[in-house]
Amino acid sequence: MGFSGNIDELKKTILAGAIGFAAGALIMMLYGYDPISAYQALFNGAFGDLYGFSESLANATPLILTALTFAIGFRGGMFNIGAEGQLYLGALAAVTVSLFHLPSATSFALSLIFAVFAGAIWSLPVAILKATRGVHEVISTIMLNWISQFLAFYLIARILVDPLRAEKTISIAEGVRFPLLVPGTSLSYAIFVSLIAAIIVYLLLWRTVTGFDIRVMGHNPLAATYAGIEKWKIILFVFITGGLTAGLAGAVHVMGRPPTYAIYSGMPSIRGLGFEGLAVAMIGRNHPIGIIIAAIFFGGLLAGGRMMQLFAQVPLEMVRVVEGIVVLFLAIPELIRLFSFLRKIRTPLIFRSKRSSDEDRRRS
Amino acid sequence: MCRRILFVLIAVALVFGIVLSSVAQDKGSVGVVLDVGGRGDLSFNDMGFKGTDKAAADFGLKMVEIQSASAADYLPNVRNAARSGSLDLIISVGFLLTDAVKTVAGEYPNQKFMIIDSVVDAPNVMSIVFKEHEGSALVGALAAMVAAHYGYPNVGAVLGIEIPVLYHFEAGYRFGIDWGNKAYAQKTGTDPKTGLLYTYTGTFSDIAKGKGATEAMLAQGAGLVYNIAGPLGIGDLQAITEAIKAKGKKAGPPFMIGVDANQDWMGDGHRVLASMLKRVDNACYNAVEAVIKGTFKGGLVVMGLDVQGVAISKEPELLAFMEFGIGSGKIGEDDKAEIVANWKSMRAQIPSWIWDAVDDLEKQIISGQISVPNANTLDEMKAVRSKYPLTK
Repeated sequence: MGFSGNIDELKKTILAGAIGFAAGALIMMLYGYDPISAYQALFNGAFGDLYGFSESLANATPLILTALTFAIGFRGGMFNIGAEGQLYLGALAAVTVSLFHLPSATSFALSLIFAVFAGAIWSLPVAILKATRGVHEVISTIMLNWISQFLAFYLIARILVDPLRAEKTISIAEGVRFPLLVPGTSLSYAIFVSLIAAIIVYLLLWRTVTGFDIRVMGHNPLAATYAGIEKWKIILFVFITGGLTAGLAGAVHVMGRPPTYAIYSGMPSIRGLGFEGLAVAMIGRNHPIGIIIAAIFFGGLLAGGRMMQLFAQVPLEMVRVVEGIVVLFLAIPELIRLFSFLRKIRTPLIFRSKRSSDEDRRRS
Repeated sequence: MCRRILFVLIAVALVFGIVLSSVAQDKGSVGVVLDVGGRGDLSFNDMGFKGTDKAAADFGLKMVEIQSASAADYLPNVRNAARSGSLDLIISVGFLLTDAVKTVAGEYPNQKFMIIDSVVDAPNVMSIVFKEHEGSALVGALAAMVAAHYGYPNVGAVLGIEIPVLYHFEAGYRFGIDWGNKAYAQKTGTDPKTGLLYTYTGTFSDIAKGKGATEAMLAQGAGLVYNIAGPLGIGDLQAITEAIKAKGKKAGPPFMIGVDANQDWMGDGHRVLASMLKRVDNACYNAVEAVIKGTFKGGLVVMGLDVQGVAISKEPELLAFMEFGIGSGKIGEDDKAEIVANWKSMRAQIPSWIWDAVDDLEKQIISGQISVPNANTLDEMKAVRSKYPLTK
């Protein structure tokens, strides 16, 4: 891609963002809200002071990780949208470790390890089905997302439930939580986990042989196979790594987010983190550094949106409309790249296992 | 030419918007932080809003409303409100906001807070709780007797997230059904042994789940379904309306029992038999009034049957709450007369001795003769469930 290529892409994204904000302003005006005070509140709330910036970073923390799940898959030519289901299990795994009242340091390490493990395990069926039977990952990940959701509901309501407060699971034990980075905000040290993960993924994809193989497979699967890169290995690696980061996202959210450090019945606070990560990945052009920036932007949009309600009296529904419009426009540059890329390599949506007709075609 | 018109329109809109937003800022303000599910539930949240709005209008205050998109927003929303420093009172509507209010009340000891349905022990927090179990006992008794009268074997309850507040409803409802069964046995000589079908849907915002749960209960012979999940009542009513239409009728049975607000007007006035009123609006109004008059005190306020904090719906409230429906566009001004007429005929169909029995129960609860069981933890709820199993 090259550095100058990246700058071009950045320009496109910024232009898309500007158009998005203008469209949002238009909608607000049509309904009688003042876009100037609304955007003022938005930016102040997101980046105006240390408090706002901390809230934005706190929102960004899990989003970076779920975006990485999608981005790794995308770089390998796959559409991994299983982050949602994997992150539920990661969060549950972290809470489960707190059931056992182990010493704090052990508990902390085990929570993270099991969460990461849980996410990876949940992505295994997807990888195996794709590698052996050619099942398209969009179908298998969505199905597994649903299974994970109902499994989570069951565990939250029956096994992990807090006996004194039936609407949530037990809380992560006090010594096992990420300490607050900025007191008086929601930002914890977990942000460093996300940043380090992003850097590791960057190094993986652009500085290792495996990463190179993944990217080649993503650019052109036929050429990759011809060059001796084994598709099933790539599939396995990509999905498992994606599962690792998604599981970590769940753990980081439940261990780092005040004030409850638990999962509520119905999972209202971790719901959607997987799919929002998808949007973040698109805006971040599926590059770990872009993802960090996009996640902070997205987190800022959410944090500032709250201020829009409070200071500009824009109702929640309108805030979400504006957020949606901005995100939609920002995702367009990447969507254009995705569609033209798919058309270019003529990737079939179902990849078929070897048949005799393929042999004939090769012979002729 | 077109572009010029467009520019003019945008300029006009911009000016309009700026003018609208520069309203006089020198009034006091009260902030309302709403739960997930937010406005439009025609019950819990809407009542919180209604009471605060009336107080703001009566006392000349500005009202700022903050809805929570997800549980992760509770703490930032309450904290942002406190940080702004411009709100005389921050009202948090709902039990799920407890942790957020507890944390922020500690960070801002000079900010006044009020929380509904929960107890936060801090000098700057007024905690208002209700005796939902008393009100639910009344509707439980009504439900059991009415179901027996029409020959239905069961009554239902659709609940939301399994939080301790909802245990109050379930415990009182069970007691009421049992009491109703006994009262019916006393009057007619046969114990109908009306059973209870209940489910916790795990949500206060997914209306479709309410509809699904109600359909399942109606299929098992429920004659009345008590909505204990705020906005899910809209879904419950859809299921009941469809069941009624399938019989080729317009009016129940089966009936719904509304909650929090008077929902009797929903369903054209003849599909919701009664509502268990929880006067969240009065609670909010009283809190704002206390701040204005300088009598605000942190601490616990309990609102029960005796102070009309909870009640079973009667005619005066029906008329007042129909304004809700008109305001949200669900019914028109001209429908009012028809709805009241339907409601009266619906209630007239129930034998008067049943209504008298419910009034009698109310008197006995207020006087202390009868003590309705309550539950705050899972263990306590299990104990009430085993005392009143109500299974067939």
